[in-house]
Amino acid sequence: MTKAKPQARGIRQTMSDLHIWAGLLAGWVLYAMFLTGTVAYFREELSRYMRPELPAASATVDAGEVAQHVADTVLAGTPNVSQLGITLPTVRNPTASAFWRQPPGPGGGRGRGFSSGVFDPASGHKLDARDTRGGDFFFAFHFNLHYMSPLWGRWIAGLCAMFMLVAIISGVITHKKIFVDFFTFRWGKGQRSWLDAHNALSVFGLPFHFMITWSGLITLMLMYMPWGLQTLKPPERQAVTSEMRFFLPPGKPAGEAAPLLPLAGFVQQGQQRWGPGSVGTVQINHPGDAESRVVVVRQQAQRISTTPQYLVFNGVSGELLRAKDSSGPAATTQGVLYGLHLGRFADITLRWLYFLVSLAGTAMVGTGLVLWTVKRRAKLPDPARPYFGFRLVERLNIAAIAGLSIAMAAMLWANRLLPLETARRADWEIHVVFIVWGLSLVWALVRPAKRAWVELLWTGAAALALLPLLTALTTERPLWRSLAQGDGVFAGMELSLLALAALHAVLALRTARHQPKTRPVRKPAPVAPMPVGETP
Amino acid sequence: MTHLSLFLLCVAAFAALALATDRAQQDVLGRELAPSATRRVRLLGWALLALALWLAVAAMGWGLGLAAYSGHTSAAAGLVFIALVAWNRRRSR
Repeated sequence: MTKAKPQARGIRQTMSDLHIWAGLLAGWVLYAMFLTGTVAYFREELSRYMRPELPAASATVDAGEVAQHVADTVLAGTPNVSQLGITLPTVRNPTASAFWRQPPGPGGGRGRGFSSGVFDPASGHKLDARDTRGGDFFFAFHFNLHYMSPLWGRWIAGLCAMFMLVAIISGVITHKKIFVDFFTFRWGKGQRSWLDAHNALSVFGLPFHFMITWSGLITLMLMYMPWGLQTLKPPERQAVTSEMRFFLPPGKPAGEAAPLLPLAGFVQQGQQRWGPGSVGTVQINHPGDAESRVVVVRQQAQRISTTPQYLVFNGVSGELLRAKDSSGPAATTQGVLYGLHLGRFADITLRWLYFLVSLAGTAMVGTGLVLWTVKRRAKLPDPARPYFGFRLVERLNIAAIAGLSIAMAAMLWANRLLPLETARRADWEIHVVFIVWGLSLVWALVRPAKRAWVELLWTGAAALALLPLLTALTTERPLWRSLAQGDGVFAGMELSLLALAALHAVLALRTARHQPKTRPVRKPAPVAPMPVGETP
Repeated sequence: MTHLSLFLLCVAAFAALALATDRAQQDVLGRELAPSATRRVRLLGWALLALALWLAVAAMGWGLGLAAYSGHTSAAAGLVFIALVAWNRRRSR
């Protein structure tokens, strides 16, 4: 780039190259990880939006009673349950849910025998909802990816997160004038404007971007570096794991029947310990057996660390067997970082802040990817016929950025339109995401680049903007009713979809109006080399 | 309520810090401030940021407070940035 002598390459130039190539190579996967991770901050809200049959709100019922109702319903249907976990309603999710496990064998479930369901907290009746992964899909995709074993997905995601960390650090070193240029934006200056936007998006959210990348790596550290844990024997290994998250295997039943005490008493003891509304889940091992156990687990809100806090009781005598109140410093460090990453402790304001700053991170990756092409387009010898690498990056950018918005919106369309009786319906909602994403890549490859951007951005805007209309036509919960009834989840979701649609429309309009300033005739002398340190 | 005061403090702080740059002074005031005035505005910005940090930690504790502080500073800086861009766009028309 600069005509300087090779040995004059300073640290900034080296870091700039590192930043550009680390960013480009991991950029497309990172963009998808960032965007799906961003919407996963509203994972529970998305899950509710994708199950419109479920009630919008429910009467407040005592947590202990809810647990009892749900347990009664499940045990009435399947008596030989070896393990039953009940997740109590929260502010974010008014329904209770449960999973249960039957021992394999005659009368038991097939395979590992897991079943699950959603329940009305007041009556304990099972609620029927459409088969969907809901917001959990976006959450899982952002580190497991899809169509491959989660192990592979996590290795790829971790590698990309490593590249991200490299890009963040090299980017900070490259960006010489972080404080001087803090508020600088030069409008309508092509590459300069892209660079200013990229810088602003990166710098304003820098604490978050760094935290999210680093903590993301930490959450998976035991997978990337399992050797320490592998030297331990299984019981010790289990002890280490139980410092980090709640896990209590069912154990062996006594084989003698004995009645289970009412669950309300156990829940109450948890609430006395941690405060009202603090119990998140209740797990029962071997209900109805003399050796039954009841575990009351504290919920995540109002506490950053994800380290578990729980009480283990004898389900027949009610005796408190074990109280887990704290974890060791290493587990707590991991728990705090994991907790910061997940943001489950966040109230609604903080959750929105998480979402917005994370969205800025997505835009940071997106502008970085686009900048790669903007910077090189001006220097193309013949702009009508760019070289292969340029075309490849350009087209992949279109599919990765504009295509992903359409693909994600397509999941919500599939959620509303796929017939309820479709076999493997939840899987098909996800297949639709990837079919649409693949189609957008084909579109990006066959159309002229600029047209492809504009067309796909408009498609994204339309797909998002029409979702409230689709909801009004296919469900009982149109936007006006959500607004009138103060249904924060549905109204909030649809207003956000409209806002995102507007954002896509603005981007489409600006792209359509854009006239690239290319210089087909190369003038050797007057083009001043860009000052070192201002390259992206 | 804590969130709102936190956010407003951060917006005021970043507005002051922005006004302490030559470019924003030219853009918003049409002239550059005297070095002593610039210093005072910058000091005010940092003081407001410190006050916001104190408020966040006092109201929510270290863990939640720092997390909330990080979010509010990022969002406030973004808002001031967008406001400056919008201001310049309107002026240049």
